[in-house]
Amino acid sequence: MTAALSVVHPLGAAADAAMTDAPTPLVDASDIAVDFYLEGRRQRVLQAINLAVPKGSFVSLIGPSGCGKSTLLKVLAGLIMPTEGRVSVDGIVPREAAKRRIIGLVFQDATLLPWKNAIENAAFLLMTADDSIGRVEAFARAAAMLKLVGLDDAERKMPSQLSGGMRQRVAIARALALDPQVLLMDEPFGALDAITREEMSRCLLDIWQRTGKTIVLVTHSIEEAVFLSREVHVMASAPGRIIETLPIALSQPRDADSFTDPAFKTAQQRLRGLLIESHRRRPA
Amino acid sequence: MSRAVFGATAESSGARPQTMRRPLPDWVLALALLAAVTAVWELAIRLLHVSTFVLPAPSAVVRSLIASRAALAGAAASTALEVLLGFVLAAVTGIVVALVIARFERFGRALYPLIVLFQNVPKVALAPIFILWFGFDLTPKVALIVVIAFFPVAIDMLAGLQSVEPSFVALMQSVGASRTKILLRVRIPHSLPHLMAGLKVAITFSVIGAIVGEFAGASHGLGYMIEFASTQLDTPLIFAALVVISVLGLAFYYVVELAERLLVPWAPKFEAHHRAS
Repeated sequence: MTAALSVVHPLGAAADAAMTDAPTPLVDASDIAVDFYLEGRRQRVLQAINLAVPKGSFVSLIGPSGCGKSTLLKVLAGLIMPTEGRVSVDGIVPREAAKRRIIGLVFQDATLLPWKNAIENAAFLLMTADDSIGRVEAFARAAAMLKLVGLDDAERKMPSQLSGGMRQRVAIARALALDPQVLLMDEPFGALDAITREEMSRCLLDIWQRTGKTIVLVTHSIEEAVFLSREVHVMASAPGRIIETLPIALSQPRDADSFTDPAFKTAQQRLRGLLIESHRRRPA
Repeated sequence: MSRAVFGATAESSGARPQTMRRPLPDWVLALALLAAVTAVWELAIRLLHVSTFVLPAPSAVVRSLIASRAALAGAAASTALEVLLGFVLAAVTGIVVALVIARFERFGRALYPLIVLFQNVPKVALAPIFILWFGFDLTPKVALIVVIAFFPVAIDMLAGLQSVEPSFVALMQSVGASRTKILLRVRIPHSLPHLMAGLKVAITFSVIGAIVGEFAGASHGLGYMIEFASTQLDTPLIFAALVVISVLGLAFYYVVELAERLLVPWAPKFEAHHRAS
């Protein structure tokens, strides 16, 4: 606890905010480096990462496989401690933030419990996080979140009866049931087919617009990143680093027309160019 | 040329399911096969004039079954009691061993090789020692069943406890769940289908353990009856006892299988059935 608070002193943070006259970002990583030990050899996986995600924003991390974007997300989630640098989520270290249910996590696999139905799965993490919360209250919240992700008629279905997209919706509802301030998503639609993927993108956009949650999305898909994000961070590998941050200047709110917006094409081409470049910089 | 041939095959096979009747259920086929084997056996004995002392005909076995039905029923009851007690204790032992290894990782890493080492001791050879320690009653048989049958329970349950997706464990840890909480709420329920698989192996091992235990020294039970019948050169009675043992084993097995269907209807093996319903 004390260690957590001493990392970012509340007074210091307030003073910084006052000086720069800008709101403190909800997710703030400065000079992050992460080393892994592979077969006894120290390897730098992430290098000099600076990332500031304002409250209520939608930010994507995109980059070639193995560039460390998932590792970066795990650092933000408090699942990996950075070797160097400081991370804070809502002013405290991520591990504490996660315990206080400020962070919601969604992975590529829905990881639902096969012996529980949709609503039990959606309520499960909330009930694990907070023993004092009653079953009735947890289920009410889970039901509301299932409705938000468009699954209100599938509450009693078992995971084996749900499609891949529906399972991932339950996983999103489970994260949202914690009522987190930030949703960290690691390639949540990576295992889905193209059409379901598009559908899920629209669903996520809808959730973002309705709840105003801050979202950090790791993705492989350029279209997904452009369509959803306010800002896209392009990463390169060996060591993993952010090579460019691209603001997406599409009009809000985004909808089907966004795809035909000339700004969409421009951002898409720019990202493609950056990704090709980052691929080329990879050692073979 | 060949394309035309393939085309014709595809057409005819496509039309077949509509004209064909529903296939017979598997158990009907199994019974038919059993009847056929029995008939061939009966015929072979009669045609080749094999001595009853060497191999009795099925009809002789049935006659023996009927003649000794009271003795066989009493023996079956004793053996069933040994199997039941031994199996329950083996299951409890296996589950506890698996839980201890999963919960206390360091201790588990020390314990695991010892258990594997113990598994490599031929357990059947322990039967005389157990008789020395526990006498001729129920206890040595139950002890033998426990040492034979706990291993598949422990190994399968452990595999289940340890095969929870790491990302799910990370999710639980992220909201501050303790090891014990993760064990109770996720690992244990997740391990149940694996446990049921282990229990099915254990129940068949338990029947073997009971018979071997009775061979080593007993005054009742189906194993004892086989020993007794062999001293009398009553081969039909040996086979009659074997039939009773098989039926007993099958009955126990299906009780465990039924328990599986009731306890873990969400297990992957039932998934196809689940989707259909």
